[in-house]
Amino acid sequence: MTRTLALALTLVASPALADVPNALTTHLLPGFHAFSTASTALAASARQDCRAEAVQPAYQAAFDAWMAVGDLRIGPSEQGALSIAFWPDDRGFTGRTLSRMIAASDPAVNDPATFAEVSIAARGFFALDMLLYDPAFAYEPGSYPCTLVQAVAEDLAAQAEALETTWAGKFTEALTNPGAPDNALYLTEEEALRAVYTQLLAGLEMTADSRLGRPMGSFERPRPRLAEAWRSGRSLRNVVLSVEAAQALAHALADWDLPQTDAAVAQVHFAAGNIDDGSFQDVTDAVHRLHLEALQQAVRAVRAALEIEIGERLGIAPGFNSQDGD
Amino acid sequence: MTTLTRRLGLIALALGPAPALADTDPAAIIATYADIAAAGYADSLTTAQALQQAVAALIAQPSDETLAAARAAWIAARAPYQQTEVFRFGNPIVDDWEGMVNAWPLDEGLIDYVDASYGGPTDANELAALNVIATPQLTIAGIAVDASAITPALIANTLNEADGIETNVARGYHAIEFLLWGQDLNGTGPGAGNRPWTDYARGEACTNDNCDRRADYLQAATDLLVGDLDYMAAQWAPNGEARAAVQADPAAGLVAMLTGMGSLSYGEQAGERMRLGLMLNDPEEEHDCFSDNTHNSHYYDGLGVQNVYLGRYVRADGSVVEGPSLSALVAETDPALDAELRAKLDTTMAALGAIVTAAEGGFAYDMMLETGNARGEALIMGGVNGLIDQTRSIERVVTALGLDGIAFEGSDSLDNPSAVFQ
Repeated sequence: MTRTLALALTLVASPALADVPNALTTHLLPGFHAFSTASTALAASARQDCRAEAVQPAYQAAFDAWMAVGDLRIGPSEQGALSIAFWPDDRGFTGRTLSRMIAASDPAVNDPATFAEVSIAARGFFALDMLLYDPAFAYEPGSYPCTLVQAVAEDLAAQAEALETTWAGKFTEALTNPGAPDNALYLTEEEALRAVYTQLLAGLEMTADSRLGRPMGSFERPRPRLAEAWRSGRSLRNVVLSVEAAQALAHALADWDLPQTDAAVAQVHFAAGNIDDGSFQDVTDAVHRLHLEALQQAVRAVRAALEIEIGERLGIAPGFNSQDGD
Repeated sequence: MTTLTRRLGLIALALGPAPALADTDPAAIIATYADIAAAGYADSLTTAQALQQAVAALIAQPSDETLAAARAAWIAARAPYQQTEVFRFGNPIVDDWEGMVNAWPLDEGLIDYVDASYGGPTDANELAALNVIATPQLTIAGIAVDASAITPALIANTLNEADGIETNVARGYHAIEFLLWGQDLNGTGPGAGNRPWTDYARGEACTNDNCDRRADYLQAATDLLVGDLDYMAAQWAPNGEARAAVQADPAAGLVAMLTGMGSLSYGEQAGERMRLGLMLNDPEEEHDCFSDNTHNSHYYDGLGVQNVYLGRYVRADGSVVEGPSLSALVAETDPALDAELRAKLDTTMAALGAIVTAAEGGFAYDMMLETGNARGEALIMGGVNGLIDQTRSIERVVTALGLDGIAFEGSDSLDNPSAVFQ
């Protein structure tokens, strides 16, 4: 006990042990590179054969790749993530915007620069989720929706490439040179560290509160249609991948062991194993809802473990995050 | 220990705030904060009472003039209220109550007639086109509801957030706004909602049917708003609960102040209200979408953040509430940081002011949201960037005052780590 305390005090005095550059080179930058590669493959797949069943495998692979870095909301991702993954969508903007574009045969699909200006509701993964999986949007090759799928995929690949470039360039500069004369973002190493640490916690909060909390709704009124990417059956997968991404980032950030975090993640896998419907559509059943609740608790325990094993150890509290507010 | 704890120790030793410390005494700073809140909610109440009278006049004698007067009273009531939004985050008493007053966005078809382009019920909200004003006998989530009399109780207990859906906003400023202006059907073109005064006319002159029920709704919603604001003004009065909560522990009070400033600036205003609407290019994604008063709402939200930092609020009648400020405390600890945050708050207010100037010149906020409108995007992003940038300095203040340790102590998982791993 005393030894643990003494060790803890020593570490509190040396916050530089947490390694933001290592997190960049071993987790974040490879993650953005893999996402860019997978998105380029998705665009190629759509170009070659736009039919939904032909595009779906590359879509799933690209979404998997996104999840490794998709919960970040700093630097280029602060705004960039919104047009890649516009969700939640309480007011049904995605369906409405896509329907409007299809009804008008909106020519924006013919020019990438114009398409990059359309509403984020018609861009990125959640536009594709609806176009590729919702029977209401079923289409034939050579139709307008076919061109729309190709345009969304092309635009996604371009966004992924831009994100990778900016993360690897300007933003790596900012994170790894805190206090440099031209660095207005981060004045000290602790600020850069706090920024990354805040993302870890915010991503897990989002998973617990939104990815799980929204479809769970209240006991009396569960909301299966509010699950993330339920059409493509990715709701559970995204929960697990988001937790694994946080775990990987935490290990890249810390050069010490994270036994509580790892145990909590194991518990997430266990709880996920009890869930039958990967798109959470069975949440209307009380027993299934209970399993979701257990998973939500397990995700919150990962967050709590990170607060102890990283935050408390370094003596840092999370900063404000983009999901504060309503 | 933290800087703040040391300071609190010194104050205790001095047996009460010594004159030399008064300007940077946390207890005095929090008193200013509570005074500004009390004055802000009191101003919100009196301007809402003026709105209540204007609404009564509209209903008694419907005309172009009485409708215009009610609209002007609504816009005047928004100015003090928006400056209180900074008290929302960080004060649970306010946050738990706020949804009754300023909930947004809303599916307005719940309340009254809408244009055909609005559509009907949606997957997310079966009641999106319920039209209570036209429907004395309702069915909500399978249960029959007698809405033959539109009363404050019906709105508060049955209609608001009906079926557990947040966008079923039946009360508060935006429900009233819809009843005064109607839908804005101009898209990203010029013009706000254009409800005719005859929507409140009696007998033959009544347009769009059910004028009497519409008037009942407007009156009831306005009465509810006044009651809600009366409640919150009392919470910040000398013996109020919200005041007592922030004064109980000066360090926690400072955390509440900074949490409100940062959360409103970043996640709520810059993110949810401004940038998201811009990226969706949807004219309905503006905060005051019926009246086209969004520029003012954003401006006064930003001003509220600045008020809290500078410890100064200009009341609706022009008088000033001021006292020891957070700014002075920061200046004592780190003068450069205080200068940095003051400058950033000024930059944000200039950017939000530019939006107001453009809107008053005819370039309304919904026009700025148009796809590919570079000038609109630059104006809105000027505000967004200012708000994000000031949040960074607010975080630095939290650290400089040693308050991040306090934020730690407030975390459940750290207070009781074993509870997490059952």
